Amino acid sequence: MSYYKQSAPPVRDSRLRIGDSYAGKACDLVNCGREGCLLQQGRGFWQAGSCQMALSLMMATTVENAVIVMHAPSGCGALLHSLSAQTAKGRARRGKASVPVPWLTTNLTEADVIGGGERKLRETIEYADRVFRPEIIFVVVTCAPSIIGDDVEEVVRQTRSSVMADVVSLHCPGFRSRVVASAYDAFYHSLLRGLDLSPKPWKDFRPNTLEDTQALLADKKYQFQKSRTVNVWNATSIGPEDEEEVKRLLSALGLNVRFFAEYSSRDELRQISEAALNVSMCNVHDDYMLKYLEEKFGTPYVIAGMPIGLRHTRKWLKEIAKHFALEREADNLADYEEEAVREAIKPFLEQVRDKRVLICGGVVRVGAEATMLSELGLKVISIRAYHYDEGAEPIYEEVGDILPDTPVAVSNQIFEMTHQIKTLKPDLVISHNGTQGYVAKLGVPSVQLFDVDYAFFGYTGLYKILRRIVFELKNTSYRERLSKNVRLPYKQSYFEGSAFKYIKKNKGELL
Amino acid sequence: MSDFIERPRTACALAGALSVIANLPDVIPIIHTSLGCGGNLANSIAFGSGYLGSGYCSGSAAPSTGITETEIVFGGTDRLDEQIRNTLELIEGKLYVVTTGCMTEMIGDDVAGIVSEYRADDKPICAVSTPSFKGDSYRGYECVLDGIINHYLPVNEDKDPKLVNIFGLVPGYDPFFRGDLEEIERLLTALGLKVNTFFTPGQTFENIRSASSASLNIVLSRVWGREFAERFEERHGTPYWITDLPIGPEATDEFLKEVAGRFKLDVGGLIEEENHRFYGYFERCADAFCDQDLKHYVVTVTNSTYAIPLARFVTRELGWIVTDSFVTDKLTEEQRAALDNECPLQFLTGVQEIASALNKNHPNSRGQKYFDDLSPLYIIGSTLEKRTAAARGARHLSVSFPVYDRLITDRGYAGYRGGLHLFEDLVGQIMSVKS
Repeated sequence: MSYYKQSAPPVRDSRLRIGDSYAGKACDLVNCGREGCLLQQGRGFWQAGSCQMALSLMMATTVENAVIVMHAPSGCGALLHSLSAQTAKGRARRGKASVPVPWLTTNLTEADVIGGGERKLRETIEYADRVFRPEIIFVVVTCAPSIIGDDVEEVVRQTRSSVMADVVSLHCPGFRSRVVASAYDAFYHSLLRGLDLSPKPWKDFRPNTLEDTQALLADKKYQFQKSRTVNVWNATSIGPEDEEEVKRLLSALGLNVRFFAEYSSRDELRQISEAALNVSMCNVHDDYMLKYLEEKFGTPYVIAGMPIGLRHTRKWLKEIAKHFALEREADNLADYEEEAVREAIKPFLEQVRDKRVLICGGVVRVGAEATMLSELGLKVISIRAYHYDEGAEPIYEEVGDILPDTPVAVSNQIFEMTHQIKTLKPDLVISHNGTQGYVAKLGVPSVQLFDVDYAFFGYTGLYKILRRIVFELKNTSYRERLSKNVRLPYKQSYFEGSAFKYIKKNKGELL
Repeated sequence: MSDFIERPRTACALAGALSVIANLPDVIPIIHTSLGCGGNLANSIAFGSGYLGSGYCSGSAAPSTGITETEIVFGGTDRLDEQIRNTLELIEGKLYVVTTGCMTEMIGDDVAGIVSEYRADDKPICAVSTPSFKGDSYRGYECVLDGIINHYLPVNEDKDPKLVNIFGLVPGYDPFFRGDLEEIERLLTALGLKVNTFFTPGQTFENIRSASSASLNIVLSRVWGREFAERFEERHGTPYWITDLPIGPEATDEFLKEVAGRFKLDVGGLIEEENHRFYGYFERCADAFCDQDLKHYVVTVTNSTYAIPLARFVTRELGWIVTDSFVTDKLTEEQRAALDNECPLQFLTGVQEIASALNKNHPNSRGQKYFDDLSPLYIIGSTLEKRTAAARGARHLSVSFPVYDRLITDRGYAGYRGGLHLFEDLVGQIMSVKS
């Protein structure tokens, strides 16, 4: 059965060749992924992290007029307080009403774990609908109900007819995968199973019953507009400034740009089918959804890396332009933009030349940024990717060519990062949100790998990335002083051996 | 109606346990769950409690078994065993506490069995059962203290006649726990006592070790810590005294007199000195406070620990009028009964429920010429009340979890200094709109 027909989505582990524990050279990673040796690896020591539920919630909270119902014990929704604040800000920055996200938890107790939580779930959905009048209710299915086997789908089916909102199940139990990126598939699965993704007659348009000339002209005009419309898929790490930059560039090619699925409403989501092309901004974000849309609506898609740095941005633009026979225009646009930005970044480049950089975070972004920085004259001393799956092959083939001997780790583990920073002593760390405090305590300058408050994509992004690096290096006193007064929890002996001593090859022996 | 919760102001037992461990010196958690639990729960406290952050070995640094589907099907004890072994090898700590989550409790892993093997080998380790469906974060606070002090520490008959332990404030879920504890410690030290606060930066693992030799446990909450203190008394023979967190001079005078009486100490000039200092500052503000008409109606939205002391402070010291005190933690009938108060308490948690109750209790004017409405109003609650306050045109200060709109370091509201801080913050909010 197609994944799209199942009530719960597959995790990345079952859909793709995947791994989260690896240490080696850049040039060997792709082969290790292809041969399956990556799949076999694990660790003998782990530190807490995130799960697919957390990332699923980050995306679901951004959907307009939605309420989140956590089908969970009381703790699973804990991070929704901060996600709600983040979403309210994201909405304001996109010109939407800055409202918080209402959420509820079914608060599963011991009795529910034994007797089932279905009745409670129904009551919670009905209450959420009555009190908040949302357009969409996301029912987030966590570990506990997945293990006890609550029939959430049945409750969703029943409540869909008894409440006003569209009730959508979002299956994302953390135990199913250590790889957080499964969340993208989980979130998109919830949309494609639970919502209409194409316009509905009498709601979104008046069906053309009279075949008069005017109607035919209107239809032709609509089809023309559609043939120039692209859906660009944003997610979590891509902020409003990135969206603006992407829109600016694609608009310059004469395309009509819309962003999905974050910060969209139910009505807007019904326009997804009305585009000539779906465009990804990261190989490991949305292939699951874009393949579905191709299957369902025949809309082709482009997955061409991340538009980070000059070369990647040009390639990304050209892949999109190719679809519209606008390659020459895309080249001209890139030439024009590159000339301007090269001039603008000159003073920055002098200040960052030969800086030794360690880059940590999302697999595609760290690969793209590593090659970009090395082309700009910085020295990438190690790359740390949070996970690896076959979607990242194109960028790691490139990394393998450009930086063949650079150490690459597939790791989201703070202790391994700490070891690398302490022993490699980089001049600068570029790392994922959530790790900045840990890096600061080691006394090393660092900047965010992404931050939804700033631009990272395209030409504006390139300028701003470099500007932020220079800004960080202007005064590093805070972290130098801080690090002298912080005690690390790791024993000294660990730093005398390999950073990756707890990675296990073939599920057993240590590296 | 079932007990679902809208925007709960607490998380699960595991969250409370992790928050306690993250704030205990040299205590290391080993979280037997999927990787997400430890990170997500720690983040909710690290960012949601005045940006408390992560400590020595918490948050994304906390050891966790990271169990997956394989362990759910085949059991997770092998993974736990390996994780404990490697944690002991890699992480420097004085005590390692294994905590559980819903999935590992459901599959029935024999955590105590594994841990007892390490105990037999003289390793400083204990296990605490903290599944999320067992209770909320407040319950988790009690579970983990019970595990460490009433089970791990050996029975101790020897008492230090001057030593007291302070309990009742839950790290993170009482956002000012550190400042409050430091002020209590300062005052009791001035009385001549030795104080274990456990959760403030000045404490070491020795304070935990010496807990069992205390002569008195002071529980600064009428609800949280009570059961734990009872079991403490059963095991180590230390009596407990349940009282309210003292905020401001009147409450703190009483508190100090009571403690001094219990230890037969001379409270002497301490109360006088502290009052002198308090009023030295407080008096100066009378011009602004009175000339600018800062008298307010007050609605409080806090946990049970803060509700009564906060209402008392604004009523007695500021002369404000408290109309509604909403208590947001989920309590049993018995726990509610322990909270007798002059102003009746309302037990509600949901943001929407509270806003609705407030509108029902105090309707807004419908355009009547003469209407005795609830204004000027000050809502003292959590960040979640910010929009409720805005909708009613009320002032607002966040003092209760979750607190996202301010950063908290050593600030506290307990005692004399805390009273001044609370006054300063309440009035400061009003002044902050001036330009």
